[in-house]
Amino acid sequence: MLEGIKVTRRFGGLMALTNLDFTVEQGQIVGLIGPNGSGKTTLFNVITGFYPADSGKIIFKGKEITRCKPYEIARLGIARTFQIVRPLLGLSALDNVTTAVLYGREQIAGMAKGRERAAELLAYVRLDDKKDVPAQRLVAAERKRLELARALALKPEFLLLDEVFSGLNDTEIQDAIKLIFRIRDDLGVTIFLIEHVMKAVMGTCEKIFVIQYGVKLAEGKPEEVSRDPAVIEAYLGKKRTC
Amino acid sequence: MLKPKHILFPLVMIMLFAFPVVRPPLFFLTLCFSVFMFVGLSESWNLLGGYTGYVSLGHIAFFSTGAYTTAVFMNRFGISPFITAILGGVFSAVLAALVGYPVLRLKGAYFTISSLLLAVVMQLIFMNWDFVGSSTGLWYKLLPVSIEVNRILFYEAMLIVATAITLVVRYVERSKFGAGLVAIREDEDVAKTMGINTPWLKMKAFILGAFLAGVVGGIYGYYMSYVHPEVTFSMNTSLLILLMSFFGGCRSWSGPLLGAVVLSLANQLIVTFIGAEISRILYGLLLVVVIIFMPDGVMQYAKGLFVREKR
Repeated sequence: MLEGIKVTRRFGGLMALTNLDFTVEQGQIVGLIGPNGSGKTTLFNVITGFYPADSGKIIFKGKEITRCKPYEIARLGIARTFQIVRPLLGLSALDNVTTAVLYGREQIAGMAKGRERAAELLAYVRLDDKKDVPAQRLVAAERKRLELARALALKPEFLLLDEVFSGLNDTEIQDAIKLIFRIRDDLGVTIFLIEHVMKAVMGTCEKIFVIQYGVKLAEGKPEEVSRDPAVIEAYLGKKRTC
Repeated sequence: MLKPKHILFPLVMIMLFAFPVVRPPLFFLTLCFSVFMFVGLSESWNLLGGYTGYVSLGHIAFFSTGAYTTAVFMNRFGISPFITAILGGVFSAVLAALVGYPVLRLKGAYFTISSLLLAVVMQLIFMNWDFVGSSTGLWYKLLPVSIEVNRILFYEAMLIVATAITLVVRYVERSKFGAGLVAIREDEDVAKTMGINTPWLKMKAFILGAFLAGVVGGIYGYYMSYVHPEVTFSMNTSLLILLMSFFGGCRSWSGPLLGAVVLSLANQLIVTFIGAEISRILYGLLLVVVIIFMPDGVMQYAKGLFVREKR
């Protein structure tokens, strides 16, 4: 469904991503892991058009999107959340989602209908009791769910989640994992997620990409990847033999 | 359900429209005219400045374009000032489209400075452009009516324009368009991920605001019967518009309305009874106080007080 071919992105002399190949099939939940600064968020920014790739191609449903603008990519059905959640702080939770609904792919016209749909989405992420609260007054876990509802308001086919589990406690992580499966199964959304919380990655993803210094290190099923010596080295360093 | 506001709004409008019937002194008509004018200007400024947070100091350029359009078309082609006012709006909109394409790519202070430069550069051009009277300015041919009728006519015209602009802005605020503009103010990148074509939306707000300001300028120009670059492009007016919107609160249509009414009345009183120089100092102080203590404007501030008391 989403394919990257030799994607490269530089920041000045720094190679943030080098010849990265990846594929995500429809209906999959795929993880992207790697040490800090390895280029995970950069890859998401390249996919969503915020940092256009310097070379290489990104293909979504058979169509090249490498040079598309962020809003065009959103309209094609790729939604994203941000690593540091960015709710529209001055607005209520409901207004946050309503705006996204109105500009989303459902072609909902009219404020009243938009609000109705937004309320449904907030209920879906179990935030309906907070719908009139300004986003500013929501706690971290609620903001993450709000961000998720806003992404879903687009009616995406493909969802990029940037560290949605970080900063959550164990029960919240369990809830979030269930929610992610529900989004995939009920709404038929393919999911590509960046994650540091290994429990969550192992529990959700069918396939994992590991990158380091912008280069692909490994790819495969979670259990394969976690045994890969190169991956262990990247995270923990080389085992000393003497 | 009939709410108080359903009666209050028509009542106030009827009273305002009927005001000239009681034959008030011309001074009052002039005062009201300037209040309406500032309502129109602040509201039209607010479309971009308030909702998207792109604070422009160049709004006066569109206003002046409207004023000059009326002057030129009336003097050279003898067209009625009410038609040229619309034409002024169209010219302003075209100007906004040309300028907006590069300038709206800038953010924050960079945008503000370039919009200020737009006004400065246009002033210089008009000072040296003989076709529009250069530094001697342009006199308008007067309509063949008495001064009283003239004043009343333009009082009503500006009232209609100000009301229409306020209603347009209010409509925009409650529409999808307005929601998109607010999303840009809150976080432009997030707005893009929602599928909002942010450059185009900003452009639309800029052009619509410019059109409305151009219409106001067109009517103002004829009313003053004389235009001069020093007067119409006055930096002071740009600051006043901004201050009025901030004072009332630029997140909602009611803010600029309140700000324009209160401050233009206050301005007139200070200028009449104390002095123009003092009024500028007071305005500067007021802007500082409002921005520090009531960043969302008096409207929101008052609401906040009310809510706190209720708890």
